Amino acid sequence: MSARMHFSDNPKLDPVVGASLTRIGYGLGVAGLLVSLGLGFGVEGNQKQFYFSWLTAFLWMVTLTAGALFFVVLHHLVRANWSTALRRTAENIAANMPLMALLFVPVLIGSSDLFHWSHADVVAADPSLQYKSGYLNMPFFIGRAVVFLILWIAIAFFYRKHSLAQDESGDVGLTFKMRRFAPVATLVWAMSLTFAMFDWSMSLDPHWFSTIYGVINFAGSMMACYAALALASLWLTKNGALTRTYTVDNFHDVGKLMWGFTIFWTYTSFSQYFLIWYGNIPEETIWFVVRQSNGWMALFLTLVLGHFIFPFWFLMSRHMKRGRKTLGIGAVWLLLMHYCDHYVMVMPNLHHHLHFHILDVTCLVAIGGLSVGAWAQRTAKVNLVPIKDPQLDASMSYDNAV
Amino acid sequence: MAHAHSSSETVFPPPLVEGKHTFHSVTEAVCSIVEAPPSKGWLASFALALMGLGILGISVGYLFWEGTGVWGLNQPVGWGFAIVNFVFWVGIGHAGTLISAILFLFRQKWRTSINRFAEAMTIFAVICALLFPTIHVGRVWLLYWALPIPNQMGMWPNFRSPLLWDVFAVSTYFTVSLLFWYVGLIPDLATLRDRAKNKISFYAYGMLALGWRGANRHWQNYEKAYLILAGLSAPLVLSVHTIVSFDFAVSVIPGWHTTIFPPYFVAGAIFSGFAMVLTLAIPARKIFHLEDFMTIRHIENMNKIILVTGMMVGYAYAMEFFVAWYSASEYESFAFINRALGPYWWAYWIMVSCNVITPQLFWFKKIRTSATMAFILSIFVNIGMWFERFVITMSLHRDYLPSSWDYYTPTLWDFGCLVGSFGLFFTLFLLFLKFLPAIAMAEIKGVMPEADPHWEGHGHAHGAASGHDDAVEKHHG
Repeated sequence: MSARMHFSDNPKLDPVVGASLTRIGYGLGVAGLLVSLGLGFGVEGNQKQFYFSWLTAFLWMVTLTAGALFFVVLHHLVRANWSTALRRTAENIAANMPLMALLFVPVLIGSSDLFHWSHADVVAADPSLQYKSGYLNMPFFIGRAVVFLILWIAIAFFYRKHSLAQDESGDVGLTFKMRRFAPVATLVWAMSLTFAMFDWSMSLDPHWFSTIYGVINFAGSMMACYAALALASLWLTKNGALTRTYTVDNFHDVGKLMWGFTIFWTYTSFSQYFLIWYGNIPEETIWFVVRQSNGWMALFLTLVLGHFIFPFWFLMSRHMKRGRKTLGIGAVWLLLMHYCDHYVMVMPNLHHHLHFHILDVTCLVAIGGLSVGAWAQRTAKVNLVPIKDPQLDASMSYDNAV
Repeated sequence: MAHAHSSSETVFPPPLVEGKHTFHSVTEAVCSIVEAPPSKGWLASFALALMGLGILGISVGYLFWEGTGVWGLNQPVGWGFAIVNFVFWVGIGHAGTLISAILFLFRQKWRTSINRFAEAMTIFAVICALLFPTIHVGRVWLLYWALPIPNQMGMWPNFRSPLLWDVFAVSTYFTVSLLFWYVGLIPDLATLRDRAKNKISFYAYGMLALGWRGANRHWQNYEKAYLILAGLSAPLVLSVHTIVSFDFAVSVIPGWHTTIFPPYFVAGAIFSGFAMVLTLAIPARKIFHLEDFMTIRHIENMNKIILVTGMMVGYAYAMEFFVAWYSASEYESFAFINRALGPYWWAYWIMVSCNVITPQLFWFKKIRTSATMAFILSIFVNIGMWFERFVITMSLHRDYLPSSWDYYTPTLWDFGCLVGSFGLFFTLFLLFLKFLPAIAMAEIKGVMPEADPHWEGHGHAHGAASGHDDAVEKHHG
């Protein structure tokens, strides 16, 4: 067992480093946004492609951000010690929620291109959609999205505000306050994420349904959040911040959870696939038939290999999770696979045949860049860890010797 | 402090062992249960359990003589109490594996005082579970047909059937759980051997202890073996009940065929398992004076897990209902409306009340820190989870063809097998309490402040030692 550690780092990020990542992030984001808009609306016939590419990239980032939000809530819910040093980074990612609300606006504007249940004539000709119109209708859809995003912004704001306040006052009562709110926040988060995924992703094919859809997306978003936390922590320590605070055991644990949620994603995805394959009911199998034909099978198999088999073996050994390079490679790879996961959920609704488009890349750069820029800007302003959190020392003092 | 909060709240949890215990007093407290002659209470309970076992013998004997016609099975309800009891008992077992494997991997040290208990419960519950598919086959003497044994007739079991996967999954689960339990017992069996007062117990515990002398090398091998077994058991927590859920979900029967079944069954199994741990542990800790080891903190933690997993089960109920409507499939919608308002409405509402509503009382700290309330509510969960499996199975009673609809009524022999399985379970459990250390002594000692290399005796650095203990204790997941 290692000796008891005390926080001794500079709690702030080097302003030059912070400003540089902020510039890069925003620069790429704005450039990506302008190119995407130019290609989407300046070139004839690209509008629909723009909205689908945008939605895929948006789902990729919003689930990651929601995952970071739940990381913070979970930390308080289970009264974790180990994750205290990582919590501020997660709080800063979760604080991107207002930006996510902004990035959702194009989805709303493009809803008639994205969701064919939003067309009155389509619904009129389809008894099944008429039946569902009590749920799948535009006003209710918008209302739900507004509620989900407001709830997420509120939870993110609540936790970051109290956490930052503790940096000043060191008041242990704030810890108790954040803990007391965690169970309710967990419930709200679980239900809102489920229905957000039903609305924004599952309803793209409004006839198809799966009860586990919310759980799969929960697993994916947690995996993405741990990958993002690993990368953020690696980046901070590489730039000289928190080198004595982030121990190799912190990285090891983030790696373990990232690996664990890769397996959980596989478990839930396999459950969905297997039960639908075995039951072999046309109204359910159609979702997989589409994703296994006309070239889509390549991406489907990419998920099987890249989202499970490769990371399962690559990250299994403790040396891989404790090694900075290998953990970083694993995290980047899994973020890519998380995008691929959403791509397979969304894109077959647009293209009958597998078809990549330059807008996929530009939208990804736009949303990714803006999110990283906003995170870096926020991170540069505050302490990088909750310096007066009573659990901070404990977070630095454990090891994974067993 | 600017913010008001109750004085009982602390940043770090209270110690895991209460009272003024030394390593020696822990050994005394646990071994005395085994070494003392059986108490009147134990004898009375054992007599009762044997009566239950007798009922099982009679019910199963008559069943073998007459065939499964003595049960209330009919068309379309070809699966009755047997499958309900099977899933119920397999589910009970899950808490043991979760506590021994998953909580171990997550470094949840509070598991040490309940893991022995829970693991024993797992093994006995799986024995009860295995009983039901065995007797449900009707011609029990042909049970070996379920195994893929090469034979001159070229007859093989159906590898595509989840019922066969059950055979593999549950027997693997039983084997690994038994190994895990036994490996964990070895150091404690050696303690009992060293304290033995007569030849029989000396040789019996001596043989079981496999020559354990507490050497450094022994401990190193032991720790490695324990970690490997924990790693092997962790996926089993998921796989066993996942495959049990496949028994239902691979079919195309409305109410059974739904994609959330695997994680939903796993959550339900952990939920029911923790309830059973409480049902067993709370009376035992009182009777054998183990309150210093199974503290209120342990009970509160288990109650929190019950609250969380209860809400996961509630989430699954809600998803099933929502998607049954959203699917726009009239068969799906009918199956769920029929559950809530059809002939078995009473079973559905017992299930919802016991699994989703009553556990909500654990939101109140007063209730979840009360051993009595935890005991009462754990009984509710046990009842609710039995009814959950009953409700799912009874989806059969109104199938696609209305002319074949029928109401399933269990017979006396159905109840005989159910009550009898409890008799079997409690017989085994009471024998365990009497002959084996109910608490993992060696592990409990490892979480006491004395185990810290920097510990300087009572009164010295006690706070620092327990603080350090907290530091290495992780809470996640």
